[in-house]
Amino acid sequence: MTDAAASYLLYAAGVRKTYPDGAVNALNGVTLGVREAEYVAITGPSGCGKSTLLNLLGVLDRPDGGEVFFKGEPLSTRRDLDRFRARQIGFVFQSFFLLPTLTARENVQVPMFEGPPLSARERAKKADALLDLVGMGKRAGHRPLQLSVGERQRVALARALANDPALLLADEPTGNLDSENAVRVLDLLTTLQKERRLALLVVTHSDDVAKRADRVVRMKDGQVVDDGTSRAPVPRQAASPQVSHV
Amino acid sequence: MYFVTFILKNLTRRPTRTALTVLGLSVSVGSMIALLGISENFRESMRDTFEKRGVDLVGVASGAADQLSSEVDESVVDAVRGMPEVAGVDAALVDLSEMTLREPRDESDTPPSLQVLIQAWLPENFGYSDLDVLSGRSLTPADAGQYLCMVGHKFAENNDKKVGDTIAILRHKFTIVGVFKSFNLYENGCIITNLKEYQDLSGRKRKVTGFSLRVHKTSPDPDADVEAVRQKILALRDPDGKPYRVAVERPEKYLNNSAHLRIATAMAWVVSLVALLIGVISMMNTMAMAVLERTQEIGILRAVGWPRGRVVRMVLGEAILLGVAAAVVGAVGAVVTTHLLALSPKVNGFIEGGVAPAVVAQGFAITVAIGLLGGAYPAFRAARLLPTEAIRHD
Repeated sequence: MTDAAASYLLYAAGVRKTYPDGAVNALNGVTLGVREAEYVAITGPSGCGKSTLLNLLGVLDRPDGGEVFFKGEPLSTRRDLDRFRARQIGFVFQSFFLLPTLTARENVQVPMFEGPPLSARERAKKADALLDLVGMGKRAGHRPLQLSVGERQRVALARALANDPALLLADEPTGNLDSENAVRVLDLLTTLQKERRLALLVVTHSDDVAKRADRVVRMKDGQVVDDGTSRAPVPRQAASPQVSHV
Repeated sequence: MYFVTFILKNLTRRPTRTALTVLGLSVSVGSMIALLGISENFRESMRDTFEKRGVDLVGVASGAADQLSSEVDESVVDAVRGMPEVAGVDAALVDLSEMTLREPRDESDTPPSLQVLIQAWLPENFGYSDLDVLSGRSLTPADAGQYLCMVGHKFAENNDKKVGDTIAILRHKFTIVGVFKSFNLYENGCIITNLKEYQDLSGRKRKVTGFSLRVHKTSPDPDADVEAVRQKILALRDPDGKPYRVAVERPEKYLNNSAHLRIATAMAWVVSLVALLIGVISMMNTMAMAVLERTQEIGILRAVGWPRGRVVRMVLGEAILLGVAAAVVGAVGAVVTTHLLALSPKVNGFIEGGVAPAVVAQGFAITVAIGLLGGAYPAFRAARLLPTEAIRHD
């Protein structure tokens, strides 16, 4: 464990990613830390590696080089990455990705199969509580196609919170929403982040989304070019000099 | 929500495809259950007959593939009957013979004919006492030389025959004196006549195709008594001092060695295996399509933390549920089909309606195996999907 990694909830140390054809270095030694209860926005032009970085931080993919740490522990040595992802990370996607055959209540329960053990009744009760939290309690029995796009993203947000994760990763969460719904979802996202003291990492092209962040990280050509200004809470330990925030 | 609810919802989202898969697979499984059921019914009926008649040993010509092609000299039967340890002997000449249902009207007329199973019995056969005479009477030793016969009730129904009617066997007229019901499937569709007359007509004087016997069991070990008689029969010699070409076995072993039953079972399995192979391919196609169509969803499930094992369980669970549904439909179809076949005159009462529970259970087990086999490759494919690539899949 490095001192720098220990200071952050999630810490990427010099991660690199090259896609199989070898032609594209999607990430070229990115170092980035996210503290508990910190809201970080990652911006940059299309193809700069934002989503690739989000996938590596969310353990959806493995880096070709470097290491990702969670609470100071290197993730490459963990054997239970699926369980880790289920219990520690919530995902919100641009296209919502709700399962069409399931109701909102059932969609929220999908991650719970891999969360802490709950009975079917407990899962349903928890899903209802989460839907109430995102203002979708009255629409719990509806399927995604019966919901507006804004409602779908709120259900997706409830699903992301299903196992009470410490970290929320969002890829263009307002990208498919009109401005009114985008504001509503963003309000909800930031409120939940603060109330639940979640670490929130958002990949976005939206200035509105970036403006609300504690820190804005700018990327270009697979590298972090600016780690922005942090209004994040003071870390428990001082960050190592070579890391700073990036 | 239960995991199985999730699986069921995946199946019901494509109701037409699910129904067609279940239907296709149920035809495969139903064919298998019906064919194996019919073959098992034959075997069970034979076993039941030997058991109810208290048969301890069955004798046929050694090396004969089946009873129809067996030929044993009647002197063996006489010798066996003379043994003090033997309580009774049934001897028969079983033959598949052409029968005409009516007299020719003139010389150019060819009456309709059919192949029928003839059982030519000795008048003293103990098998007569097991027949339930539904109308008329049983054959007696006093009927010798009069060309009389009894017919099974299935034969009578299928050919519209009753007591007093005549039939022509080997171009000789026989008069029906009784209609009977037997616990033996074959006997209900056959004709029983006097051994001596049929031997004369068929040119097989003093020949039988086989015999069965009951043994007096006096010692504490009944099996030893039966084995002793078996050895004694095998030790019999003809007037020239040569051993008779006769094989004597316990009924269970005789059934296991029966070429007819083995061929019937083998045929049933061969046809079933073809049907089952089609079932596996059909299942694999359905599940592969389901996985392909849901690639993005599987990516999402992996992203929210589902391990490969749960994805595999989901796909296999769907395949198994399809299999179980097909097994239910197939089993019901097989039972109905065998009942309908049993009613058909074309099978002449040789098929018993219904399927033994053990065969149905076997069908269920095989269908679940089909589900596992057909779902295995798609499940493996689904589990190998990388979440990041699967989510991008369109």
